[in-house]
Amino acid sequence: MEILIKGGYVFDPINGVKGEKLDIGVKDGKIVEASKIDERSAKVIDASGKVVMPGGVDLHSHIAGAKVNVGRLLRPEDHYISFIKAITGVKRSGTGKTTPTVAPIGYKYARMGWTTVIEPASPPLKTRHTHEELNDIPILDKACFPLVDSNWFVLDYLSKGEVEKCAAFIAWLLDAIKGYALKLVDPGVAELWSLGKGYGLDLDDEIPSFGITPREIITGLCKVNRMLKLPHSIHVHCNRLGIPGNYTTTLETMKALEGMGDGIVIHVTHAQFNSYKGDNWPALRSGAPEIADYVNSHDHVSVDIGQIMFGGATTMTADAPFEFALFHMTPIKKWAGSEVEVESASGIVPFKYKKRSVVNAVQWCIGLELALLIKDPWRVIPTTDHPNGGPFTRYPRLISWLMSKKAREEVFEKINKTAKRRSVLPDIDREYSLYEIAIVTRAAPAKLLGLEERKGHLGEGADADIAIYDLDPAEGAKDPEKIVKAFKYAYCTIKDGEIVVMNGKIAKTTYGRTFYVKSKALGEDLMKEVEEEVKQRFKEWYTIQFSNYIIDESEIRYPEPIVVGG
Amino acid sequence: MKSLKLTLVTGRTVEQGVEGEHGKLRDEYAEKVAVIELDSEDLGRLGVSAGSPVLVKTAHGEVVLKAIAAKGRHPGIAFAPYSPWVNVVIDSETDGSGMPTYKGIEAEICPTEERVVSLEELIRKHYGLEVDLSKLAGQEVSGGEGGEEQLIKDVVCPFCGCLCDDVEVLVKGGVIVEVRKACAIGSAKFLDHRKERALHPLVRKDGEFVKVSLEEAIEEAAKILANSKYPLLYGWSSTSIEANELGIELAELLGGVIDNTTSVCHGPTVLGVQGVGTVRATLGQIRNRADLIIYWGSNPLNAHLRHLMRYSALARGVFIKGRKDRKVVVVDVRETPAAKMADLFIRVKPGQDYELISALRMAVRELDIEAKEVAGVPVEKIYELAEIMRTAKFGAVFFGVGVTMSPGKDETIENIIRLVQDLNEWTKFVLCPMRGHFNVTGACNVSLWMTGYAFGVDYMRKFPRHDPAIWTVTELLSNGDVDAALIVASDPLAHLPKEAAENLAKIPVVVVDPKFNVTATIAQVFIPSSFVGIEKEGSAYRMDGVSLRMKKVVDPPEGVLSDEEILSLLLEKVRELRGA
Ligand code: SF4
Ligand SMILES: [Zn+2]
Repeated sequence: MEILIKGGYVFDPINGVKGEKLDIGVKDGKIVEASKIDERSAKVIDASGKVVMPGGVDLHSHIAGAKVNVGRLLRPEDHYISFIKAITGVKRSGTGKTTPTVAPIGYKYARMGWTTVIEPASPPLKTRHTHEELNDIPILDKACFPLVDSNWFVLDYLSKGEVEKCAAFIAWLLDAIKGYALKLVDPGVAELWSLGKGYGLDLDDEIPSFGITPREIITGLCKVNRMLKLPHSIHVHCNRLGIPGNYTTTLETMKALEGMGDGIVIHVTHAQFNSYKGDNWPALRSGAPEIADYVNSHDHVSVDIGQIMFGGATTMTADAPFEFALFHMTPIKKWAGSEVEVESASGIVPFKYKKRSVVNAVQWCIGLELALLIKDPWRVIPTTDHPNGGPFTRYPRLISWLMSKKAREEVFEKINKTAKRRSVLPDIDREYSLYEIAIVTRAAPAKLLGLEERKGHLGEGADADIAIYDLDPAEGAKDPEKIVKAFKYAYCTIKDGEIVVMNGKIAKTTYGRTFYVKSKALGEDLMKEVEEEVKQRFKEWYTIQFSNYIIDESEIRYPEPIVVGG
Repeated sequence: MKSLKLTLVTGRTVEQGVEGEHGKLRDEYAEKVAVIELDSEDLGRLGVSAGSPVLVKTAHGEVVLKAIAAKGRHPGIAFAPYSPWVNVVIDSETDGSGMPTYKGIEAEICPTEERVVSLEELIRKHYGLEVDLSKLAGQEVSGGEGGEEQLIKDVVCPFCGCLCDDVEVLVKGGVIVEVRKACAIGSAKFLDHRKERALHPLVRKDGEFVKVSLEEAIEEAAKILANSKYPLLYGWSSTSIEANELGIELAELLGGVIDNTTSVCHGPTVLGVQGVGTVRATLGQIRNRADLIIYWGSNPLNAHLRHLMRYSALARGVFIKGRKDRKVVVVDVRETPAAKMADLFIRVKPGQDYELISALRMAVRELDIEAKEVAGVPVEKIYELAEIMRTAKFGAVFFGVGVTMSPGKDETIENIIRLVQDLNEWTKFVLCPMRGHFNVTGACNVSLWMTGYAFGVDYMRKFPRHDPAIWTVTELLSNGDVDAALIVASDPLAHLPKEAAENLAKIPVVVVDPKFNVTATIAQVFIPSSFVGIEKEGSAYRMDGVSLRMKKVVDPPEGVLSDEEILSLLLEKVRELRGA
């Protein structure tokens, strides 16, 4: 199908388009010059008075895999209250608010105009499960990040100083399980949690079983990442997450990677949870200004904020001891812990963020402070770490807070007074422009993921993933409620050249690709040698056969390898 | 006449598993499963010798079974394998959990002159249906002998929740000639997959089964489903994820209910996790680290034969090198084979697991228990076990249907999960349900990611709803709520309590299965399918949630399609009939 989007205000930061009135052409799933479209036979969409942006890209949202599915299991009450009905031939049904099933994930993202979403934490041994869920998520393009920081092969090679071999292992792993980038969660913690330890693990604490520290794991994997020329930097959930005073650990983590090379070498994820000042919870204060200062003066770091949204959430992370601690702090006495041989652990605890809680209110401020104090929009991404800070469906509200001081002030009226007094947020006047919103929600995440050739822009040859919002950039962009409404229900969403949302409603069910990375950066001899070593130890370490660990391309609905370093 | 009041416990056995695989409509099956195991002491008190028939009466019905001598000692308890015979005396009450009461039923047992009836007679007598089993005689698939030999390694065994993936299958000329590394049941499944096969679709016309083409069978099946107001789609635990996905799509399209066999095994486990959470680990984590293994109401030596060697008591792990580095505890109502190899065996009174768990939770927290014994266990023993648990470095509880079916059902499970959560204040402790069918864990997982619920999902309003007290197989059938059924890879007539089975026999039923099973005898349409994991690839989930890719090692019999293919055709036809 050919489509011509006429007369919209186009926001396409990668190509420097800042709200000019332009026509956009779509042909065979790609963006083409508007002049190449035959208006008589094409589907013409009148976008006059509307905003046109590339499809949204979320680089951190827990949407698939064993942990997410246990979250669903744990929370039937989350599913009773939220559902979508099937319409035969158009859309499938599903349930769930903070732990939605596959159909609502795809549809609700698409309705907001998002078209690419990354699952950021998959234990390799359970990644077949992750892919099976990703296969069933409609519309979106996807990828997943394997958890690697407590993997015995990684710890073993790094502790012996064999960085090259570690790199070869990682290259093999990404290809074997069809992963995209390296995820580190409270680096090294899962190994300690196997012994019931690890809460509060700091950068220079030793992990006795391998005689290695989190600092060495992070720097080692950062080197590996660069050797393999992976498209995304290491993706790090820093040590001591969710512990007052942890902003120093976050600063130290970023400092540890200074001088690792050009460009961005570390992505600090859901930084809000790692920007805490104060010695204990009652004394909690924001460390966001310090974190932002650091990011503003160093260009090797990107962050996503991990904003909390007042209301229900389901916390789920590979930071197992943190979740066990949280279990003791919440009145909802539910905890699901899980451990994966050789690789990882996790925990899930349902949670509710309350406006009146001083801690939650401070957390709310920190996320927004990060987003507003970090100057370079190409390096700060608004996320909710779905469903940890709140569900991704609250992005429109988050966008309104970024764009409108008035919207933030409305919330301020209702939150805990102590928290308000402690925050610098009321003094921040910055309001994001629509252009900046287009950067932080599509162009920048696409670029950070290394997908900027085909995602996050509307230049010729890009995948035709497009969002059209019913918003007047001059007037509407000043009214928070109009912003929320426009982003909640896109006027039209196009995915790979097909109209999947029209007038805020699902028009069609399609299925997207799954990206994964093949690195050819290392020599074949080294790769073979390491694969042999892995095979040797596999039998002793794992309970499945080496060959069955490997996920074949045929198991993925639309596999899309990204070949690098060749 | 002498009679004894005993507690009846039903469950899975090796014989029942193996014979079931060989074909349930053979006399040998009746011979092996229409039995009741009695303690020698009870046999003596009844004055009957092993091998004689006895009459078993409960509040729900009566049936004649053959008495056999129990292998372990369990005076006062009568054990019977799951079967269409014993179902007649089982209670369909689920207490809102969806789970019938299979265990701890009060029964009166007395000698009898009557004999054990055949399956045909049983179906006539209890379900009022005439069946001519000769029409349902399986056939051996022929051909393919000779030719190239090929050893296929790392094959996943599609039988039990252990999902052993190291099996080696020797194929010669397209025929499996040898199976290595699998256990007896697993081997039997591979080696006998060609025996007693259903090779042609059947449709019942004027009460008689008639052979029809596949097209006609699909058409008939689709009509039954499309014309139904509220169909039940049941089974799903012995087939692939891919087939499950299509089954869910079909249920959504039809506005019916889809339920998997979890509702009659670990349904209470799901409900327990919904209530309080869980503490899990993959089997390798347990094998590598657990110095304490507890089998609670589970019977690995009967139901999961390689579990001990591969994952638990006897397994060699990275830090724990084998049996000598581990303590093994068995908690059960009877002395199971595993109990004989345990360091500590705790005999709990039938139906009192909840009480024992509560006492253990107190003991773990060093509270005083003001009783001499709880659930038949002396208090000293309870403190001893609590101490063993607290001082373990890494403990793992493998619990089975002995706990899920214990009265209290999901409350008992919540309690055992809480016990394990409590223990994590002291040390590392996890628990793992011993799931039976090879992909029942997968059926729950795919149901969760597509519907939000693990089993018992209703689509009447075109979106998923879940309430085990309403939308589960036993409840729906015993209340007569559904007007048609599609049964895939399961045999509810062989496993459901009589009240539910009776109503299943009254509605049009479509059965899809590789072999003629007991449910086939009451079917309106029977469609033969291939064996996933042998004749068709697909994925399945091990009991700990690890997903594995099952292989196709040989071709299916000619003209026989996989569950996946059959369901795709059904979906297409139903869409057409519903005018969608
Ligand atoms: S233990 Fe289970 S999975 Fe393993 S070989 Fe035996 S039947 Fe198959
Ligand atoms: Zn996260």
